Amino acid sequence: MILSKKWLADYVKLSMSTDELTERLTLTGLNLEGVETVGDDTVIDLEVTSNRPDCLGHIGVAREIAVLWDEKLHQPDPQPKATGPKNSVSVEITCPQLCSRYTARVIRGVKIGPSPDWLAERLRSLGIAVVNNVVDISNYVLFECGQPLHTFDLGKIAGEKIIVREAREGEEFTAIDHKTYKLSAGTCVIADAERAVALGGVMGGADTEVSETTTDLLIESADFDPLSTRTTARTHHLHSPSSYRFERGVDPEGIDWASRRCCELILELAGGELDGGPASAGRSGEATESPEIKLRFPQIPRLLGIDVPESEVRQILTDLGCRETHHCDHCVKVIAPTWRADLTREVDLLEEIARIHGYEKIPEDGQVRMAPSHRSHEDIVLERVRRVVTAAGFDEAMTLSTVEPELVDAFRPWTDAAPLLTSTPVLRRANALRQSVVPSLLGCRKTNLAMSNRVVEQFEIAKVYLPRMGQLPDERRMLALASGGEFLAVKGVVETILTELAIALPLTVRENSAPAWLASSRAVTLHLGESQLGILGELSSEALDQWDLRGPVTIAEIDLAPLLDAAEWIPRAVPFTTYPPISRDLNVVFDEAIRWADVEQIVRTEGGELVERLAFMETYRDADRLGAGKKSLVWTLTLRSAKGTLTSEKADAVRDRIVAKLAKDLGGELRA
Amino acid sequence: MALSDFIADLDSLATDAESAFAKATASDALEAARVEFLGAKGGRLKAIQKGMGQVEKGDKPAAGQKLNAVKKAIEEAFELAKSRLAETASAAGGTDDPFDPTLPGHPLRLGRLHPITQTIERMKEIMGRLGFTAVEGPEIEDDWHNFEALNIPLSHPARDPLDNFYLTSSPAAEAASPLLLRSQTSTVQIRVMEQVLANAVAGEAAPSVRIVSLGRVYRPDTADATHYPMFHQIEGLLIDRGVTMADLKSVLRMFCQSYYHTDDRGAGVAEVPADDVQIRFRPSFFPFTEPSVEVDINWQGGWMEIGGAGMVDPNVLRAVGYDPEEVTGFAFGMGVERIAMRQHNITDIRDLYTNDARFLAQF
Repeated sequence: MILSKKWLADYVKLSMSTDELTERLTLTGLNLEGVETVGDDTVIDLEVTSNRPDCLGHIGVAREIAVLWDEKLHQPDPQPKATGPKNSVSVEITCPQLCSRYTARVIRGVKIGPSPDWLAERLRSLGIAVVNNVVDISNYVLFECGQPLHTFDLGKIAGEKIIVREAREGEEFTAIDHKTYKLSAGTCVIADAERAVALGGVMGGADTEVSETTTDLLIESADFDPLSTRTTARTHHLHSPSSYRFERGVDPEGIDWASRRCCELILELAGGELDGGPASAGRSGEATESPEIKLRFPQIPRLLGIDVPESEVRQILTDLGCRETHHCDHCVKVIAPTWRADLTREVDLLEEIARIHGYEKIPEDGQVRMAPSHRSHEDIVLERVRRVVTAAGFDEAMTLSTVEPELVDAFRPWTDAAPLLTSTPVLRRANALRQSVVPSLLGCRKTNLAMSNRVVEQFEIAKVYLPRMGQLPDERRMLALASGGEFLAVKGVVETILTELAIALPLTVRENSAPAWLASSRAVTLHLGESQLGILGELSSEALDQWDLRGPVTIAEIDLAPLLDAAEWIPRAVPFTTYPPISRDLNVVFDEAIRWADVEQIVRTEGGELVERLAFMETYRDADRLGAGKKSLVWTLTLRSAKGTLTSEKADAVRDRIVAKLAKDLGGELRA
Repeated sequence: MALSDFIADLDSLATDAESAFAKATASDALEAARVEFLGAKGGRLKAIQKGMGQVEKGDKPAAGQKLNAVKKAIEEAFELAKSRLAETASAAGGTDDPFDPTLPGHPLRLGRLHPITQTIERMKEIMGRLGFTAVEGPEIEDDWHNFEALNIPLSHPARDPLDNFYLTSSPAAEAASPLLLRSQTSTVQIRVMEQVLANAVAGEAAPSVRIVSLGRVYRPDTADATHYPMFHQIEGLLIDRGVTMADLKSVLRMFCQSYYHTDDRGAGVAEVPADDVQIRFRPSFFPFTEPSVEVDINWQGGWMEIGGAGMVDPNVLRAVGYDPEEVTGFAFGMGVERIAMRQHNITDIRDLYTNDARFLAQF
């Protein structure tokens, strides 16, 4: 809201400096946005919150100033003389839910011309275009009291009849901007006997506009529904100072005042004769009286933490325009002024007391009670996960939760359900809630390559959104990794995470079950005990081409829920033996199809509780020495007993048992 | 043997030794020269020493004196050569081992946490010390938790479809009420209050709540340097008997004192000495609090807005099942991006979500 200091001075004494004025207003609810000097005037821009439409006019702000500086508010009392015949215009409202009150006054025989300098100057200082005396006066009254008005050329109103009704579906209307709008049913229009002449509260019509030739005026002052006004303004992109105010609500008691004020100024500045009496329809003023609000004095320290003297409380409320109906030792009862529709409850009055008394009086060194807080299991586990992946050289990325729909379809390890869509894209074309974080990280990788960034190792911990019938979606938190390393490097990161979380459940992989985009020989699903943990794999050459990436690129996506379930973050010590360990290196030749996992299982089973450590060393292939389709696996087995020193013979016996079992079950042949 | 011969032998030995030591440019050459002249078994000095037996008896004291003088001179020459070599070696980096210790060490590539994560973790940690437990909740919400329970009725502009990311209904996600991407993390506060009340024992005092909720929120803003349609919020909530606005102000002040604290070495984080941190409230309007305020802290001689706050609106308390006559509460909210950007000198919010490796490596 832009305010002229000179204009404000019409209603309240401004003894303070501009700095003092704006500082105090800022601290009581009208935040300073800017100050400018226009001619010999100072123009102040104040932010008015949506609950305070009473401050969208100079009188409203002057009232705040009067309360804060204990000054008197001088509000005009317009009493325009009706010298013409009785007002013969008829007003009818057929949609009271869209327009609760409508008054029309008529002035005949006006002379349209330029506004006097003082009026033009005031509007110009606010940045409002100056048109002609009549239009300028209606704008002046709007910025004076916050009530929007509209003036019609009465000669163009068919049948001297005003009907406030809902538009018919598809009804056309040509506005002052000479554009034609197609209206939808339910839009509030002002019509004459024949057609719509204005969009209620939003904009007037082109052919009933006041022009140089106009002599007779119909002055509209009304109350239009906030929601409907907003919808109409938004639908047709017709935002105006008028729609802005109706959207926030006008003072029902101010409607007639504004109408009288407008007529008084027109008679004074443009001449003419006012018809007797307003033509009105809708709710009358008396019915708008607000209910009584009780403020219990003990509620002030209970909520604000400070005491405010009762006399000051009563003074503040009365100064703000409340009418006191009762007071005693315990409470005060008031009826809020009609321009303060935001005051309906005790707590609303408490806020008024707080802001006028001053928030600076609330102490900031109170003794807040101590309370134990705790870190959630999830927080602790996620911190460990982040520690491992950053130690492994991965930077944390953060990407948008939505993606282009085709990216969901292309890579979906967790569901086949169609993605959830937002009605408008969150960014560019991204309107699908993602079902995997991997495509987003590949997008980042591509961006980084385009920037010639050499090493791009990234992870993200974020949710995927899996639809569920009849309830909120299943939001699952994922750890996604995208690396320039190869399969085993990234698998090692995942294994380290499990180690760091002291997870006892075994990690297993399944081949030939990973989704598209991954090279079939180097892609697996990961499993933790019985739960699916995630996916891991190198991108196929087709996927690399599609993403414009150079290989290898290895991705992993881990569902954090099974990790959280299995993680133990309070370690428990176990006793360890002081007997010496004994190691045996094994080098066994197998068919290519044999998997290390199968070998490992036999080694552990046969070794039993003596196995302290099993360290895989290498895979060796040599068609000449081992034969085609063969490989040798090399590992070190460390044995240790808790009961006594292990003899070499005993260790050899364990080794022999393992070798025999490997030969029997897997066709393994000891090489060395 | 004549004394003069003996002395002449010693003199020539001394000359040879000094010259040999002086010529040695490496420690092994010097060592060889030492063995040649001073060697305990076959050294030349030793050989001459053996010849002293043949010197006339009366000349022996003079011969012994000369021998000791020459021995001392040769040893000094050796020590001199040795320290000369050591100096050269240390200046030239050692000639024996070509190792260059000035080469860079093997770099350890550590990943970095995203600045938003770092900011959130820091805020959580501070609020944790103030007794607030961090909680999270769903990002896709229903009307009740995002609006109704927060005292935002259907007629409120905040519910306009153009100001929210509503989901299109799909057969797979048919739900009782329209779903949307949450526009604030206050939704989590509603869920927590509902939950503690559901778990409360009938007839006992209403349970208290002391949490911070945080996470991603979504609003249809066009992306530019200061706006992004997704951002992060952190919101605090304290519900109990006797909670006042003074408590709100005090908690916010303690948070800021802690967050913007600078110790002697805290350059860079340095903002305001803890004792000077002040909180300023300006009246504002939020549907879920009454009174509502904007919160400023003093900053570089002026005031800086850090978020919104207020006393929980009685309608919100009633919506979840509290009696506003029994308990009161405060709530506050802060935008994580804005605080992180100001602290880390990030000038474009989009940089946070582009994930350029060079950008991420800075934090």
